[in-house]
Amino acid sequence: MKHLFAMGTGAVAVLALGAGLALAAPEPDPMTALAGRPAGADPLDPMTALMARPEEGTGGEGNVELGGLPDGPGAEDTFYQCVACHSTEIIKQQRVTDHRWDELWTWMVEKQGMAEPDEETKKVILTYLKTNFSSER
Amino acid sequence: MLVDPNPTDPQSRGDQYSSSRRAFMKTTGLTALGALLGMAVPFERNLPAGIIPVALAQDTGMDLMSGKKGLVVLGDRPLNAEVPAHLLDDDITPYEHLFVRMNGLVPQTALDQNAENWTLTIDGEVENPLELTIDDLKSRFENVTSRLVIECGGNGRAFFQPGTSGNQWTVGAVGCPEWTGVRLSDVLKEAGLKKTAVYTGHYSNDVHLSGDEEKEVISRGAPIAKVMEGDTIIAWAMNGEPLSALHGFPLRVIVPGYPASASQKYLNRIWIRDKEHDGAKMTGDSYRLPAYPVAPGTEVPESDMVVLTNMPIKSIVTFPETGTEVKAREQVEVRGHAWCGKGNVATMHVSVDFGQTWQEATLEPAANRFAWQRWRANVTLPQHGYYEVWARATDGDGISQPPLSPVWNPRGYANNIQHRIALVATA
Repeated sequence: MKHLFAMGTGAVAVLALGAGLALAAPEPDPMTALAGRPAGADPLDPMTALMARPEEGTGGEGNVELGGLPDGPGAEDTFYQCVACHSTEIIKQQRVTDHRWDELWTWMVEKQGMAEPDEETKKVILTYLKTNFSSER
Repeated sequence: MLVDPNPTDPQSRGDQYSSSRRAFMKTTGLTALGALLGMAVPFERNLPAGIIPVALAQDTGMDLMSGKKGLVVLGDRPLNAEVPAHLLDDDITPYEHLFVRMNGLVPQTALDQNAENWTLTIDGEVENPLELTIDDLKSRFENVTSRLVIECGGNGRAFFQPGTSGNQWTVGAVGCPEWTGVRLSDVLKEAGLKKTAVYTGHYSNDVHLSGDEEKEVISRGAPIAKVMEGDTIIAWAMNGEPLSALHGFPLRVIVPGYPASASQKYLNRIWIRDKEHDGAKMTGDSYRLPAYPVAPGTEVPESDMVVLTNMPIKSIVTFPETGTEVKAREQVEVRGHAWCGKGNVATMHVSVDFGQTWQEATLEPAANRFAWQRWRANVTLPQHGYYEVWARATDGDGISQPPLSPVWNPRGYANNIQHRIALVATA
Protein backbone atom coordinates (compact mmCIF):
# COMPACT_ATOMS: atom_id res chain seq x y z
CA MET A 1 0.00 0.00 0.00
CA LYS A 2 1.62 3.14 -1.14
CA HIS A 3 -1.27 5.61 -1.11
CA LEU A 4 -0.08 7.73 1.83
CA PHE A 5 2.40 10.45 1.03
CA ALA A 6 1.76 9.97 -2.68
CA MET A 7 2.82 13.49 -3.36
CA GLY A 8 3.95 14.68 -6.77
CA THR A 9 7.26 13.20 -7.77
CA GLY A 10 8.45 15.96 -10.02
CA ALA A 11 11.68 16.17 -8.08
CA VAL A 12 13.70 17.48 -10.98
CA ALA A 13 16.05 19.10 -8.50
CA VAL A 14 17.97 15.86 -8.02
CA LEU A 15 20.20 16.49 -11.00
CA ALA A 16 21.05 20.01 -9.89
CA LEU A 17 22.91 18.54 -6.94
CA GLY A 18 25.56 17.24 -9.30
CA ALA A 19 26.67 20.78 -10.06
CA GLY A 20 27.56 21.29 -6.42
CA LEU A 21 29.95 18.35 -6.39
CA ALA A 22 32.92 20.46 -7.23
CA LEU A 23 35.12 18.19 -9.26
CA ALA A 24 38.77 18.72 -8.61
CA ALA A 25 37.86 21.57 -6.31
CA PRO A 26 40.96 22.96 -4.65
CA GLU A 27 39.55 22.27 -1.20
CA PRO A 28 37.18 19.34 -1.36
CA ASP A 29 34.44 19.48 1.26
CA PRO A 30 32.45 16.28 1.63
CA MET A 31 29.60 18.16 3.29
CA THR A 32 28.83 19.93 0.02
CA ALA A 33 27.70 16.61 -1.36
CA LEU A 34 25.10 16.45 1.41
CA ALA A 35 23.82 20.01 1.16
CA GLY A 36 20.29 20.59 -0.02
CA ARG A 37 19.67 16.93 -0.63
CA PRO A 38 16.24 16.45 -2.16
CA ALA A 39 13.70 13.90 -1.01
CA GLY A 40 14.28 11.70 -4.02
CA ALA A 41 12.09 10.83 -6.94
CA ASP A 42 9.94 8.55 -4.80
CA PRO A 43 9.36 9.68 -1.21
CA LEU A 44 8.35 6.14 -0.35
CA ASP A 45 11.66 4.70 -1.53
CA PRO A 46 14.44 6.34 0.50
CA MET A 47 17.10 4.90 -1.82
CA THR A 48 15.99 7.27 -4.59
CA ALA A 49 17.31 10.22 -2.56
CA LEU A 50 20.78 8.68 -2.64
CA MET A 51 21.02 8.27 -6.39
CA ALA A 52 23.14 10.31 -8.76
CA ARG A 53 20.36 10.83 -11.26
CA PRO A 54 16.65 11.39 -11.32
CA GLU A 55 14.41 8.39 -11.76
CA GLU A 56 13.46 7.53 -15.30
CA GLY A 57 10.65 9.65 -16.61
CA THR A 58 11.31 12.86 -14.73
CA GLY A 59 13.55 14.33 -17.40
CA GLY A 60 11.27 14.21 -20.42
CA GLU A 61 10.98 11.45 -22.94
CA GLY A 62 13.46 12.56 -25.60
CA ASN A 63 13.03 11.94 -29.28
CA VAL A 64 11.46 8.53 -29.93
CA GLU A 65 12.96 8.53 -33.42
CA LEU A 66 16.39 8.65 -31.77
CA GLY A 67 15.83 5.98 -29.17
CA GLY A 68 14.71 8.58 -26.63
CA LEU A 69 17.85 10.74 -26.85
CA PRO A 70 17.00 14.39 -26.25
CA ASP A 71 17.03 16.60 -29.35
CA GLY A 72 19.96 18.95 -29.76
CA PRO A 73 23.10 19.53 -31.82
CA GLY A 74 24.70 16.14 -32.44
CA ALA A 75 21.73 14.02 -31.37
CA GLU A 76 21.43 12.28 -34.73
CA ASP A 77 25.17 11.70 -35.15
CA THR A 78 25.29 10.28 -31.62
CA PHE A 79 22.38 7.97 -32.28
CA TYR A 80 23.79 6.44 -35.45
CA GLN A 81 27.30 6.13 -34.04
CA CYS A 82 26.25 4.39 -30.83
CA VAL A 83 23.44 2.06 -31.82
CA ALA A 84 25.71 0.17 -34.17
CA CYS A 85 26.65 -1.73 -31.02
CA HIS A 86 24.26 -0.94 -28.18
CA SER A 87 20.87 0.62 -27.62
CA THR A 88 20.40 4.14 -26.29
CA GLU A 89 19.32 2.88 -22.86
CA ILE A 90 22.89 2.64 -21.59
CA ILE A 91 23.60 6.19 -22.79
CA LYS A 92 20.55 7.65 -21.09
CA GLN A 93 21.61 6.14 -17.74
CA GLN A 94 24.91 8.02 -17.60
CA ARG A 95 25.72 11.09 -15.48
CA VAL A 96 29.51 11.19 -15.70
CA THR A 97 32.39 13.64 -15.97
CA ASP A 98 33.71 15.06 -19.25
CA HIS A 99 36.94 13.21 -18.69
CA ARG A 100 35.07 9.94 -18.25
CA TRP A 101 33.31 10.47 -21.63
CA ASP A 102 36.72 10.93 -23.28
CA GLU A 103 37.96 7.76 -21.58
CA LEU A 104 34.87 5.83 -22.63
CA TRP A 105 35.32 6.96 -26.23
CA THR A 106 38.92 5.70 -26.26
CA TRP A 107 37.88 2.43 -24.61
CA MET A 108 35.15 1.84 -27.18
CA VAL A 109 37.53 2.48 -30.07
CA GLU A 110 40.50 0.56 -28.69
CA LYS A 111 38.83 -2.31 -26.86
CA GLN A 112 35.33 -2.64 -28.28
CA GLY A 113 36.01 -2.21 -31.97
CA MET A 114 34.02 0.97 -32.48
CA ALA A 115 34.56 2.53 -35.89
CA GLU A 116 35.85 6.04 -35.27
CA PRO A 117 34.19 8.78 -37.32
CA ASP A 118 36.03 11.84 -38.66
CA GLU A 119 37.38 14.36 -36.11
CA GLU A 120 34.55 16.83 -36.60
CA THR A 121 31.84 14.22 -36.00
CA LYS A 122 33.70 12.87 -32.98
CA LYS A 123 33.77 16.38 -31.51
CA VAL A 124 30.07 16.89 -32.17
CA ILE A 125 29.15 13.57 -30.53
CA LEU A 126 31.33 14.05 -27.47
CA THR A 127 29.97 17.55 -26.99
CA TYR A 128 26.45 16.21 -27.20
CA LEU A 129 27.18 13.46 -24.65
CA LYS A 130 28.94 15.85 -22.27
CA THR A 131 26.08 18.32 -22.55
CA ASN A 132 23.24 15.89 -21.99
CA PHE A 133 24.64 13.10 -19.82
CA SER A 134 26.94 14.87 -17.42
CA SER A 135 27.69 14.96 -13.74
CA GLU A 136 29.27 18.35 -14.26
CA ARG A 137 26.39 20.42 -15.60
CA MET B 1 10.40 -3.31 -38.18
CA LEU B 2 9.51 -6.42 -40.09
CA VAL B 3 6.08 -7.78 -40.66
CA ASP B 4 5.84 -11.20 -39.10
CA PRO B 5 4.58 -13.59 -41.75
CA ASN B 6 3.33 -15.93 -39.06
CA PRO B 7 1.98 -13.81 -36.21
CA THR B 8 -0.02 -16.57 -34.57
CA ASP B 9 2.98 -18.72 -33.68
CA PRO B 10 5.30 -16.85 -31.38
CA GLN B 11 7.57 -19.87 -30.90
CA SER B 12 8.54 -19.89 -34.54
CA ARG B 13 9.60 -16.28 -34.58
CA GLY B 14 12.85 -16.68 -32.76
CA ASP B 15 14.05 -19.67 -34.73
CA GLN B 16 13.19 -18.18 -38.04
CA TYR B 17 14.75 -14.80 -37.48
CA SER B 18 17.73 -15.70 -35.38
CA SER B 19 18.90 -18.33 -37.83
CA SER B 20 18.85 -15.76 -40.57
CA ARG B 21 20.80 -13.27 -38.52
CA ARG B 22 24.25 -14.03 -39.87
CA ALA B 23 23.15 -13.75 -43.48
CA PHE B 24 21.28 -10.56 -42.67
CA MET B 25 24.36 -9.00 -41.16
CA LYS B 26 26.48 -9.83 -44.15
CA THR B 27 24.20 -7.89 -46.43
CA THR B 28 23.45 -4.93 -44.19
CA GLY B 29 25.74 -2.23 -42.91
CA LEU B 30 26.26 -2.64 -39.17
CA THR B 31 25.34 0.93 -38.46
CA ALA B 32 22.13 0.73 -40.42
CA LEU B 33 21.23 -2.50 -38.68
CA GLY B 34 21.90 -1.03 -35.28
CA ALA B 35 19.97 2.09 -36.13
CA LEU B 36 17.00 0.03 -37.11
CA LEU B 37 17.20 -1.85 -33.84
CA GLY B 38 17.64 1.18 -31.71
CA MET B 39 14.32 2.39 -32.89
CA ALA B 40 12.56 -0.91 -32.97
CA VAL B 41 13.24 -2.75 -29.75
CA PRO B 42 10.57 -2.12 -27.16
CA PHE B 43 10.89 -2.80 -23.45
CA GLU B 44 7.99 -5.13 -23.00
CA ARG B 45 7.00 -8.15 -24.92
CA ASN B 46 3.71 -6.53 -25.80
CA LEU B 47 4.29 -6.01 -29.46
CA PRO B 48 1.29 -5.50 -31.69
CA ALA B 49 0.36 -8.73 -33.46
CA GLY B 50 2.09 -9.13 -36.76
CA ILE B 51 4.92 -6.74 -36.01
CA ILE B 52 8.26 -7.85 -34.59
CA PRO B 53 11.61 -6.19 -34.27
CA VAL B 54 14.37 -7.25 -36.62
CA ALA B 55 16.37 -10.42 -36.21
CA LEU B 56 18.98 -9.28 -33.74
CA ALA B 57 16.41 -8.54 -31.10
CA GLN B 58 16.16 -12.25 -30.46
CA ASP B 59 19.85 -12.56 -29.78
CA THR B 60 19.85 -9.86 -27.13
CA GLY B 61 17.73 -12.22 -25.03
CA MET B 62 14.95 -9.64 -24.75
CA ASP B 63 12.29 -12.15 -25.78
CA LEU B 64 13.34 -14.33 -22.85
CA MET B 65 12.33 -11.61 -20.44
CA SER B 66 8.81 -12.98 -20.67
CA GLY B 67 10.04 -15.67 -18.28
CA LYS B 68 11.12 -13.07 -15.72
CA LYS B 69 8.72 -11.39 -13.32
CA GLY B 70 8.85 -7.80 -12.09
CA LEU B 71 12.40 -7.02 -13.19
CA VAL B 72 13.45 -3.49 -14.12
CA VAL B 73 15.12 -3.46 -17.53
CA LEU B 74 18.07 -1.06 -17.54
CA GLY B 75 18.97 -1.70 -21.15
CA ASP B 76 17.81 -3.92 -23.99
CA ARG B 77 21.06 -4.25 -25.97
CA PRO B 78 22.99 -5.50 -24.17
CA LEU B 79 20.21 -6.86 -21.98
CA ASN B 80 20.51 -5.87 -18.34
CA ALA B 81 17.75 -6.08 -15.76
CA GLU B 82 17.62 -5.86 -11.99
CA VAL B 83 15.20 -7.03 -9.34
CA PRO B 84 13.30 -4.83 -6.87
CA ALA B 85 14.43 -5.73 -3.35
CA HIS B 86 11.03 -7.03 -2.21
CA LEU B 87 11.10 -9.67 -4.98
CA LEU B 88 14.32 -11.13 -3.55
CA ASP B 89 12.67 -12.48 -0.40
CA ASP B 90 13.12 -16.19 -1.26
CA ASP B 91 15.93 -18.08 0.44
CA ILE B 92 16.71 -19.64 -2.94
CA THR B 93 16.28 -17.10 -5.72
CA PRO B 94 13.95 -18.52 -8.36
CA TYR B 95 14.68 -18.09 -12.06
CA GLU B 96 12.03 -15.43 -12.55
CA HIS B 97 13.62 -13.23 -9.90
CA LEU B 98 17.28 -13.52 -10.85
CA PHE B 99 18.89 -10.42 -12.36
CA VAL B 100 20.21 -10.47 -15.92
CA ARG B 101 23.62 -9.10 -16.81
CA MET B 102 24.69 -9.54 -20.41
CA ASN B 103 27.92 -8.12 -21.78
CA GLY B 104 27.17 -9.26 -25.31
CA LEU B 105 24.51 -11.18 -27.17
CA VAL B 106 23.07 -14.56 -26.22
CA PRO B 107 24.82 -17.27 -28.29
CA GLN B 108 22.71 -19.35 -30.64
CA THR B 109 23.64 -22.58 -28.81
CA ALA B 110 22.06 -21.17 -25.64
CA LEU B 111 18.95 -19.92 -27.43
CA ASP B 112 18.51 -23.37 -28.94
CA GLN B 113 19.45 -25.15 -25.67
CA ASN B 114 21.76 -27.19 -27.85
CA ALA B 115 24.80 -28.59 -26.06
CA GLU B 116 25.62 -31.20 -28.67
CA ASN B 117 29.39 -31.63 -29.01
CA TRP B 118 30.00 -29.01 -26.31
CA THR B 119 33.42 -29.37 -24.73
CA LEU B 120 35.28 -27.61 -21.97
CA THR B 121 38.99 -27.19 -22.57
CA ILE B 122 41.41 -26.88 -19.66
CA ASP B 123 44.82 -25.81 -20.90
CA GLY B 124 47.74 -23.52 -20.23
CA GLU B 125 49.85 -24.10 -17.14
CA VAL B 126 48.71 -27.71 -16.58
CA GLU B 127 50.49 -31.05 -16.92
CA ASN B 128 47.61 -32.75 -18.75
CA PRO B 129 45.38 -30.48 -20.80
CA LEU B 130 41.78 -31.73 -20.75
CA GLU B 131 38.95 -31.63 -23.18
CA LEU B 132 35.82 -32.61 -21.29
CA THR B 133 32.29 -33.21 -22.48
CA ILE B 134 29.43 -32.34 -20.16
CA ASP B 135 28.98 -36.07 -19.53
CA ASP B 136 32.67 -36.30 -18.60
CA LEU B 137 32.18 -33.55 -16.04
CA LYS B 138 29.10 -35.21 -14.59
CA SER B 139 30.63 -38.69 -14.40
CA ARG B 140 34.29 -38.15 -13.58
CA PHE B 141 34.02 -35.65 -10.73
CA GLU B 142 32.00 -35.43 -7.54
CA ASN B 143 28.77 -33.55 -8.17
CA VAL B 144 28.01 -30.77 -5.73
CA THR B 145 24.93 -28.65 -5.12
CA SER B 146 25.13 -25.42 -3.17
CA ARG B 147 23.47 -22.05 -2.78
CA LEU B 148 25.91 -19.42 -3.94
CA VAL B 149 25.37 -15.67 -4.11
CA ILE B 150 26.16 -14.01 -7.41
CA GLU B 151 26.32 -10.24 -7.37
CA CYS B 152 27.26 -7.90 -10.18
CA GLY B 153 30.39 -5.89 -9.32
CA GLY B 154 28.45 -2.75 -10.23
CA ASN B 155 25.47 -3.44 -7.95
CA GLY B 156 24.85 -0.13 -6.12
CA ARG B 157 26.56 1.97 -8.81
CA ALA B 158 23.54 4.28 -8.94
CA PHE B 159 24.40 5.64 -5.49
CA PHE B 160 27.83 7.02 -6.35
CA GLN B 161 28.06 10.76 -6.81
CA PRO B 162 29.27 12.05 -9.19
CA GLY B 163 27.87 9.33 -11.40
CA THR B 164 30.10 6.56 -12.68
CA SER B 165 29.81 4.94 -16.07
CA GLY B 166 27.94 1.71 -16.66
CA ASN B 167 24.52 0.30 -15.90
CA GLN B 168 22.99 2.15 -13.00
CA TRP B 169 22.19 -0.83 -10.79
CA THR B 170 20.52 0.04 -7.49
CA VAL B 171 20.26 -2.93 -5.10
CA GLY B 172 18.88 -5.76 -7.21
CA ALA B 173 21.82 -7.12 -9.23
CA VAL B 174 22.18 -9.97 -6.78
CA GLY B 175 20.65 -13.36 -6.14
CA CYS B 176 21.28 -16.68 -4.44
CA PRO B 177 20.13 -19.61 -6.55
CA GLU B 178 21.12 -23.22 -5.94
CA TRP B 179 23.76 -24.37 -8.41
CA THR B 180 24.79 -27.91 -9.34
CA GLY B 181 28.12 -28.80 -10.88
CA VAL B 182 31.63 -29.90 -10.01
CA ARG B 183 34.38 -28.21 -8.08
CA LEU B 184 36.80 -26.41 -10.33
CA SER B 185 39.53 -27.48 -7.89
CA ASP B 186 38.77 -31.17 -8.61
CA VAL B 187 39.06 -30.59 -12.34
CA LEU B 188 42.29 -28.67 -11.96
CA LYS B 189 43.74 -31.43 -9.77
CA GLU B 190 43.07 -33.90 -12.56
CA ALA B 191 44.71 -31.58 -15.07
CA GLY B 192 47.66 -31.18 -12.72
CA LEU B 193 48.59 -27.58 -12.04
CA LYS B 194 52.12 -26.58 -12.86
CA LYS B 195 54.04 -24.51 -10.33
CA THR B 196 53.75 -21.61 -12.74
CA ALA B 197 49.93 -21.53 -12.52
CA VAL B 198 48.68 -18.32 -10.90
CA TYR B 199 45.35 -17.33 -12.46
CA THR B 200 42.39 -18.69 -14.41
CA GLY B 201 41.15 -17.17 -17.67
CA HIS B 202 37.55 -17.98 -18.63
CA TYR B 203 36.22 -18.14 -22.19
CA SER B 204 32.81 -18.54 -23.76
CA ASN B 205 30.98 -18.45 -27.06
CA ASP B 206 28.76 -15.41 -26.62
CA VAL B 207 28.71 -12.82 -29.37
CA HIS B 208 30.20 -9.34 -29.20
CA LEU B 209 27.76 -6.44 -29.49
CA SER B 210 29.50 -5.31 -32.65
CA GLY B 211 28.60 -8.64 -34.25
CA ASP B 212 32.31 -9.36 -34.76
CA GLU B 213 32.51 -13.09 -34.10
CA GLU B 214 36.26 -12.95 -33.51
CA LYS B 215 35.94 -10.49 -30.68
CA GLU B 216 35.90 -11.57 -27.02
CA VAL B 217 32.85 -10.29 -25.15
CA ILE B 218 34.35 -10.77 -21.72
CA SER B 219 37.04 -13.05 -20.37
CA ARG B 220 37.79 -12.74 -16.70
CA GLY B 221 39.24 -15.07 -14.11
CA ALA B 222 40.37 -15.58 -10.53
CA PRO B 223 43.58 -16.35 -8.67
CA ILE B 224 44.46 -20.06 -8.48
CA ALA B 225 44.52 -19.81 -4.66
CA LYS B 226 40.88 -18.62 -4.69
CA VAL B 227 39.55 -21.32 -6.99
CA MET B 228 41.50 -24.07 -5.20
CA GLU B 229 39.60 -23.32 -1.97
CA GLY B 230 36.90 -25.59 -3.38
CA ASP B 231 33.90 -23.25 -3.38
CA THR B 232 34.26 -22.33 -7.05
CA ILE B 233 32.27 -24.63 -9.31
CA ILE B 234 31.60 -25.35 -12.93
CA ALA B 235 27.80 -25.51 -12.99
CA TRP B 236 25.37 -26.99 -15.48
CA ALA B 237 22.18 -26.57 -13.46
CA MET B 238 20.43 -23.85 -11.50
CA ASN B 239 17.62 -24.72 -9.09
CA GLY B 240 17.58 -28.26 -10.46
CA GLU B 241 17.09 -27.21 -14.08
CA PRO B 242 19.65 -27.01 -16.88
CA LEU B 243 21.12 -23.51 -17.08
CA SER B 244 18.88 -21.18 -19.04
CA ALA B 245 19.89 -19.17 -22.08
CA LEU B 246 20.17 -15.97 -20.05
CA HIS B 247 22.26 -17.51 -17.29
CA GLY B 248 24.89 -19.40 -19.24
CA PHE B 249 23.66 -22.61 -20.90
CA PRO B 250 25.20 -25.13 -20.98
CA LEU B 251 28.07 -24.46 -18.53
CA ARG B 252 29.22 -21.59 -16.39
CA VAL B 253 31.66 -20.85 -13.63
CA ILE B 254 30.47 -19.65 -10.24
CA VAL B 255 33.24 -17.91 -8.28
CA PRO B 256 31.38 -17.11 -5.06
CA GLY B 257 32.36 -13.92 -3.28
CA TYR B 258 33.82 -12.35 -6.40
CA PRO B 259 32.04 -9.92 -8.73
CA ALA B 260 29.79 -12.06 -10.91
CA SER B 261 31.75 -11.12 -14.02
CA ALA B 262 34.29 -13.73 -12.89
CA SER B 263 31.48 -16.31 -13.11
CA GLN B 264 31.70 -16.71 -16.89
CA LYS B 265 28.57 -17.88 -18.69
CA TYR B 266 28.56 -20.09 -21.83
CA LEU B 267 31.88 -21.52 -20.64
CA ASN B 268 33.98 -23.51 -23.12
CA ARG B 269 37.56 -22.98 -21.97
CA ILE B 270 39.58 -22.29 -18.85
CA TRP B 271 43.08 -21.18 -19.68
CA ILE B 272 45.44 -21.50 -16.73
CA ARG B 273 47.71 -18.48 -16.80
CA ASP B 274 51.22 -17.85 -15.46
CA LYS B 275 50.23 -14.28 -14.61
CA GLU B 276 47.12 -12.26 -13.75
CA HIS B 277 44.70 -12.92 -16.61
CA ASP B 278 44.50 -10.10 -19.15
CA GLY B 279 41.39 -11.05 -21.13
CA ALA B 280 38.58 -8.67 -22.08
CA LYS B 281 37.42 -6.60 -19.10
CA MET B 282 40.27 -7.74 -16.86
CA THR B 283 42.35 -4.68 -17.73
CA GLY B 284 41.95 -0.90 -17.89
CA ASP B 285 39.27 0.33 -15.51
CA SER B 286 37.01 -2.71 -15.83
CA TYR B 287 36.22 -4.40 -12.51
CA ARG B 288 39.11 -2.52 -10.93
CA LEU B 289 39.44 -0.14 -8.00
CA PRO B 290 42.04 2.53 -7.30
CA ALA B 291 44.93 1.14 -5.25
CA TYR B 292 44.40 4.02 -2.79
CA PRO B 293 41.30 6.04 -1.80
CA VAL B 294 40.50 8.93 -4.15
CA ALA B 295 38.27 12.01 -3.96
CA PRO B 296 34.93 11.73 -5.78
CA GLY B 297 35.32 12.40 -9.50
CA THR B 298 39.06 11.70 -9.65
CA GLU B 299 40.47 10.10 -12.77
CA VAL B 300 43.00 7.47 -11.78
CA PRO B 301 45.91 6.32 -13.99
CA GLU B 302 45.40 2.76 -15.26
CA SER B 303 48.63 1.68 -13.61
CA ASP B 304 47.10 2.55 -10.22
CA MET B 305 43.98 0.41 -10.71
CA VAL B 306 43.84 -3.05 -9.12
CA VAL B 307 41.49 -5.97 -9.73
CA LEU B 308 38.38 -6.11 -7.55
CA THR B 309 38.35 -9.46 -5.74
CA ASN B 310 36.11 -10.05 -2.70
CA MET B 311 32.80 -8.21 -2.75
CA PRO B 312 32.13 -6.30 0.48
CA ILE B 313 29.77 -7.14 3.36
CA LYS B 314 26.19 -6.35 2.33
CA SER B 315 22.53 -6.87 3.16
CA ILE B 316 19.09 -6.01 1.80
CA VAL B 317 15.62 -5.64 3.25
CA THR B 318 13.33 -7.92 1.27
CA PHE B 319 10.22 -7.61 3.44
CA PRO B 320 8.15 -5.51 3.70
CA GLU B 321 8.22 -3.68 0.37
CA THR B 322 9.34 -0.10 0.72
CA GLY B 323 6.42 2.26 1.37
CA THR B 324 4.28 -0.33 3.14
CA GLU B 325 1.71 0.86 5.66
CA VAL B 326 1.90 -0.74 9.11
CA LYS B 327 0.26 -0.24 12.50
CA ALA B 328 1.99 1.97 15.04
CA ARG B 329 2.78 0.40 18.44
CA GLU B 330 2.52 -3.14 17.05
CA GLN B 331 5.38 -5.51 16.29
CA VAL B 332 6.25 -5.78 12.63
CA GLU B 333 8.64 -8.35 11.21
CA VAL B 334 11.31 -6.92 8.95
CA ARG B 335 13.59 -9.36 7.16
CA GLY B 336 16.10 -9.85 4.39
CA HIS B 337 19.44 -11.43 3.54
CA ALA B 338 23.07 -10.72 4.36
CA TRP B 339 26.18 -11.91 2.53
CA CYS B 340 29.87 -11.19 2.28
CA GLY B 341 32.56 -11.82 -0.33
CA LYS B 342 34.75 -13.30 2.38
CA GLY B 343 31.93 -15.60 3.47
CA ASN B 344 31.97 -14.40 7.06
CA VAL B 345 28.82 -12.45 7.93
CA ALA B 346 28.92 -11.96 11.71
CA THR B 347 26.02 -9.79 12.87
CA MET B 348 23.05 -7.88 11.53
CA HIS B 349 21.45 -4.70 12.87
CA VAL B 350 18.51 -2.49 11.91
CA SER B 351 17.61 1.08 12.79
CA VAL B 352 14.21 2.74 12.54
CA ASP B 353 15.47 6.19 13.59
CA PHE B 354 17.89 7.11 10.80
CA GLY B 355 20.82 5.35 12.39
CA GLN B 356 20.63 6.96 15.83
CA THR B 357 19.99 3.66 17.59
CA TRP B 358 20.41 0.11 16.32
CA GLN B 359 18.85 -3.15 17.35
CA GLU B 360 20.36 -6.53 16.65
CA ALA B 361 18.54 -8.81 14.25
CA THR B 362 18.60 -12.58 14.37
CA LEU B 363 20.91 -14.06 11.77
CA GLU B 364 20.22 -17.60 10.58
CA PRO B 365 23.17 -19.84 9.69
CA ALA B 366 24.17 -20.12 6.04
CA ALA B 367 22.93 -23.23 4.21
CA ASN B 368 26.53 -23.53 3.03
CA ARG B 369 29.54 -21.25 2.72
CA PHE B 370 28.77 -18.27 0.44
CA ALA B 371 24.98 -18.72 0.63
CA TRP B 372 23.23 -15.57 1.76
CA GLN B 373 21.87 -15.66 5.28
CA ARG B 374 18.36 -14.85 6.39
CA TRP B 375 18.02 -12.12 9.01
CA ARG B 376 14.87 -11.07 10.87
CA ALA B 377 14.01 -8.31 13.29
CA ASN B 378 10.80 -7.30 15.02
CA VAL B 379 10.41 -3.54 15.07
CA THR B 380 7.78 -1.47 16.83
CA LEU B 381 7.12 2.01 15.53
CA PRO B 382 6.21 4.29 18.48
CA GLN B 383 3.57 6.47 16.85
CA HIS B 384 2.02 7.22 13.48
CA GLY B 385 4.22 8.77 10.84
CA TYR B 386 7.06 8.14 8.41
CA TYR B 387 9.91 5.78 9.28
CA GLU B 388 12.86 4.32 7.48
CA VAL B 389 14.34 0.92 8.21
CA TRP B 390 18.11 0.97 7.68
CA ALA B 391 19.88 -2.39 7.49
CA ARG B 392 23.52 -2.95 8.39
CA ALA B 393 25.48 -6.19 8.27
CA THR B 394 28.90 -6.60 9.89
CA ASP B 395 31.51 -9.16 8.90
CA GLY B 396 33.81 -11.24 11.08
CA ASP B 397 36.52 -8.61 10.83
CA GLY B 398 34.25 -5.94 12.31
CA ILE B 399 33.71 -4.23 8.97
CA SER B 400 30.14 -3.06 8.41
CA GLN B 401 28.11 -1.30 5.75
CA PRO B 402 28.36 2.50 5.57
CA PRO B 403 25.24 4.74 5.67
CA LEU B 404 26.47 6.54 2.54
CA SER B 405 28.36 5.23 -0.45
CA PRO B 406 31.83 3.97 0.41
CA VAL B 407 34.93 5.43 -1.20
CA TRP B 408 34.21 6.61 -4.74
CA ASN B 409 35.86 4.81 -7.65
CA PRO B 410 35.83 5.67 -11.36
CA ARG B 411 33.63 2.78 -12.49
CA GLY B 412 31.37 2.58 -9.47
CA TYR B 413 32.07 -0.91 -8.14
CA ALA B 414 31.51 -2.56 -4.77
CA ASN B 415 28.99 -0.13 -3.33
CA ASN B 416 27.69 -1.67 -0.10
CA ILE B 417 25.72 1.34 1.16
CA GLN B 418 23.09 0.40 3.75
CA HIS B 419 19.75 -0.47 2.20
CA ARG B 420 16.82 1.60 3.46
CA ILE B 421 13.09 1.10 3.09
CA ALA B 422 10.23 3.36 4.14
CA LEU B 423 7.44 2.27 6.49
CA VAL B 424 4.36 4.38 7.07
CA ALA B 425 2.81 3.80 10.49
CA THR B 426 -0.88 4.45 10.99
CA ALA B 427 -2.45 5.21 14.35
